[in-house]
Amino acid sequence: MIEEIFDLVLKTVDLPLYGEVKVKDVLFAIVVVVIASVIAKFIVMSLRRSLADKMRKDQLELLVKAVYAVVIIFAFVSVTPALGINLTGLLVAGGIIGVAIGFASQRVISNFLSGLFLIAERPIRIGDQIVVDNISGIVEDMSIMSTIVRTYDGLYVRIPNERVFTSNITNPVANVARRFEYAIQISYRDDANKAIEIIRNVVERHPFALKIPPPQVFVDSLGDSGVNIIARIWAPSSVWYEVKMSLLWEIKVELEKNGIEIPFPQRVVWFGKEA
Amino acid sequence: MYGSYKLSNLNISVRDLRVWVEKDGLYRYRRKLGSAEVEKIFLNDHDVILNPVEPVNLPRSITNYLFIQFSKPIFVEPVSSAEVYLTFPIEIGVFVAKGYDLEDVDVFSFVKPKYALYGEPRGGVIARFWQSDVFSKPPNADFLEKGIMKLKIYNLSGLWVEVNKVVFDVYAMKIYYSSNVVSSIAEMKIHSRKVAETSFIDEPMFEGMKKAIELYVARRIPILSTKFTMEWGL
Repeated sequence: MIEEIFDLVLKTVDLPLYGEVKVKDVLFAIVVVVIASVIAKFIVMSLRRSLADKMRKDQLELLVKAVYAVVIIFAFVSVTPALGINLTGLLVAGGIIGVAIGFASQRVISNFLSGLFLIAERPIRIGDQIVVDNISGIVEDMSIMSTIVRTYDGLYVRIPNERVFTSNITNPVANVARRFEYAIQISYRDDANKAIEIIRNVVERHPFALKIPPPQVFVDSLGDSGVNIIARIWAPSSVWYEVKMSLLWEIKVELEKNGIEIPFPQRVVWFGKEA
Repeated sequence: MYGSYKLSNLNISVRDLRVWVEKDGLYRYRRKLGSAEVEKIFLNDHDVILNPVEPVNLPRSITNYLFIQFSKPIFVEPVSSAEVYLTFPIEIGVFVAKGYDLEDVDVFSFVKPKYALYGEPRGGVIARFWQSDVFSKPPNADFLEKGIMKLKIYNLSGLWVEVNKVVFDVYAMKIYYSSNVVSSIAEMKIHSRKVAETSFIDEPMFEGMKKAIELYVARRIPILSTKFTMEWGL
């Protein structure tokens, strides 16, 4: 009984499918691709484990994807003779099909090419905070076709690479430091020089308000209700928002502690004498 | 204050710093400095080491560069070498050890940190900022706040060079300490009026000093380069 089943299996795998390709050749190809896929996953896992703390996340993702693709392509190419596929012919056919597909799917190709250019030019990286096409958030992933952004309120947004590539990209953390600005108004009764000194001292006390470039604090204009002081402060890009959030209140508290008033809008009204 | 302790016996009180352990079946490591308090729990008694570490961890780690601004510029003559002494800020690391395995559990400092940009926003580096006087011999420095750095300056260019600052990659910083001095030795090779290369030398300034455990070793941070090229001016 077992021998009969064995014979049947042997005959089945020896059956021709097309041309000179037999069932066993297709099975061989499937096994090779599956094994290659397992090996690729193992390599990817090992790379992630060993390089996670040695490489930037975006570089690691790129490396992992490239290694995975190389292993799978190598496996596929190595089984093509067994499947009776002539790669030379495939290339010619691929060229013709490529032109046809190119016309039929311009947007897809455009996204693909944009993805390649984005990878080459690297205006953004995984983990960067960006503003693209009125979408603000943190880049979660960059694939060859699209860029995944997590907005600040936690939404998942997939942006086709063509839009990313052709839009203005603002990357507020691309440089290591950035400047922010406060407009602070004090009353006309108060001493602006004293207020500037107080603001400078508060800024000086904050560790991440950079010493160099130095902060600028100056009287910018004489407003309707008070004297307008501008404070321009540089901070490391990685913490600038945290610094911006904390400093303004500290300045307000310190000014008030020193008797400097932050005025409400006010208007002087003159009443003419009744005729 | 620097040195090895048994966790169960840890009880340090210096100025407004207090480090102690409370035992209630667990070992509660507690540290109070000014208004800042830290508490960490350990299950067993271990060896604890306190020593000065690379000063780039407070209030939290955002860089691995140290920027020392000289209070007055130094003029270095063409093709020459010189030795000067500077100070650098001290941060104190607390490590627990089991055999050769170390873990940093706390970092604190008696000096307030400040940061600066070396170079341009694009391409420059954020660095821990410190202003130091320049001395011809090792200055007296409060060993809890300031370390003494011997800086060997080599002017390899054929020009007079004005040096106002020095920037280091502190992942390669070698710190030595004794009961009353913290030190480090570094060198600066000037290639032109705008470019220099800095690095640390792994040797104590005085005999009998002990080498401090480095944070990047405890954190297993891979070091790609031990030198830093100052290309944004000196």
